[in-house]
Amino acid sequence: MTGFIDLYTEAGTFLHRTDPRVKIVAVATLSLLALIMSNLVNLLVLAAVMVVLILFGRASFKKTMLAFSYVFRVMALIVVLWPLFNPGGTPVLFDLWPIKITEPGILAGIATAVRIFCLAAAWYLLMFTTSQRDLVRGLVKMGLRFDFGLSLAMSLRFLPTFSAIVESIKEAQRARGLELDKGNFRKRAKDYVAVLVPTVITALKMADTLSLALQSRAYGARADRTYVRELKMRAGDYVALFIAVAVFAIPATVKYIFSVPL
Amino acid sequence: MQALHLRDARFRYKGSTAWALDGVSLDVEKGEFVTILGANGSGKSTICLMSNGLVPHALPGDLEGTAEVFGLDVRSHPVTELATKVGIIFQEPESQLFCMSVEEEVAFGPENLAVPSDEIRERVEWALELVGMEGYNDRSPFSLSGGQKQRVAIAAALSMRPDMLVLDEPAYALDPVGRVELYQVLKGLKEHHGMTVLLAECDSEEAAKYSDKVALMKDGRVISYGKPRDVLGDPERLRALGVTPPQVSEVSALLKERLEGADFSFISVDEAERAINEKFTNRKRGREQ
Repeated sequence: MTGFIDLYTEAGTFLHRTDPRVKIVAVATLSLLALIMSNLVNLLVLAAVMVVLILFGRASFKKTMLAFSYVFRVMALIVVLWPLFNPGGTPVLFDLWPIKITEPGILAGIATAVRIFCLAAAWYLLMFTTSQRDLVRGLVKMGLRFDFGLSLAMSLRFLPTFSAIVESIKEAQRARGLELDKGNFRKRAKDYVAVLVPTVITALKMADTLSLALQSRAYGARADRTYVRELKMRAGDYVALFIAVAVFAIPATVKYIFSVPL
Repeated sequence: MQALHLRDARFRYKGSTAWALDGVSLDVEKGEFVTILGANGSGKSTICLMSNGLVPHALPGDLEGTAEVFGLDVRSHPVTELATKVGIIFQEPESQLFCMSVEEEVAFGPENLAVPSDEIRERVEWALELVGMEGYNDRSPFSLSGGQKQRVAIAAALSMRPDMLVLDEPAYALDPVGRVELYQVLKGLKEHHGMTVLLAECDSEEAAKYSDKVALMKDGRVISYGKPRDVLGDPERLRALGVTPPQVSEVSALLKERLEGADFSFISVDEAERAINEKFTNRKRGREQ
């Protein structure tokens, strides 16, 4: 909980200005595109396009590296493990029972790692160019029920609050002499009960007030609720939507109708 | 028609045997600034929660007697309707702000009431200006100070255009600067916008300074109700009720005790200055003659 960061980076680029609904569609189509391609070169081209888009969005280098540090670790694991567990085809490069490594195995491992990168990059593009509230607003406009959208928004909104609560309870318990990060796993797990119980109680209390606050502001008064800012698709958004769909539709047609491997 | 009209009101929360309100009669006139003082559990929060129908609708129980808000019986009018008459602000600033930006927070009420978008935007600007938080539209409520959070909570209530604001220990978690800011906003709302303000507090310092009337509560009853100087004069009595007396009233009591002929009973610094000046200048003059 404490490691949570909001990936959103403010900048007024065209990626930020694009309607969140279009961006959600684009994430879906780009992800599907990465999934239907298996050729390493094609995937590398897609990855390069993603990197260019991230640069266009003026992402913060620090946040990007932080977000991708996990992705890079997973990629490294895949590159190492894929050829070991999936040694198909020829030429065989190394064969010492039970370990057998083939060239297609290595290439497939790298391709899969690049695919993971593309998937992560597609989501990252959405997350760092779209504020959480636009994201929720987009989802609600796309048909998510308002109360679900509100729950989602509230969980995002209260993440830092709870993170702060957990920190202060930890401090309070440390001040009373609790050593939280000492001892074996069992002892540590037991010690954390002293943090968990007050946290849960605080959370329940807050939830009580929250429900009173929601009702006091006429929540659920009318079914035809309005919104302070309505999302409006502009000409540029339609162009972006067209591109987002085409970027998947064209390769998919080529692959599945004309049977050209990608 | 009063803003709040309680006559022999009794209320017992579901599952509890004790009466939280045990025969309360209290009238708050429109445009008045009224503070309810009392210890924890004296029933002041219940009165706050009743003022917009959370008691007995969201927090059920047995309600007896008369309980009307702007002439509407709280039993037969839902919270969503009373919420347009009465805006309520709670003690804990953090848990009553649940949106991702200040603008959405303030817009949330009118959005639920299906007010057109253009008008909501006007109301948001209006409400934020009234509480001195203009320009904070895109900030996350989490990133604000305690005092700012409470002022955003007030703006969020104001955007529903209520006739009365009810605040349950709003300054509880605030630093001195936050307290002053909060009370200045409430004072402005009362003086310039005719807002009725009902506050629950356990510290009488601000009550003495800002209220038209003060109610003292004990064990679910109002034991005294009137002008601050009539109710808050005796610091000993206040302390016995679990209420922090105004600091100057302690000075007044001490002077009365130790200084011969000093029949002081002041509850604000201005009053104290006047009374002491008068006393000593008179005495000096008396000696010169």
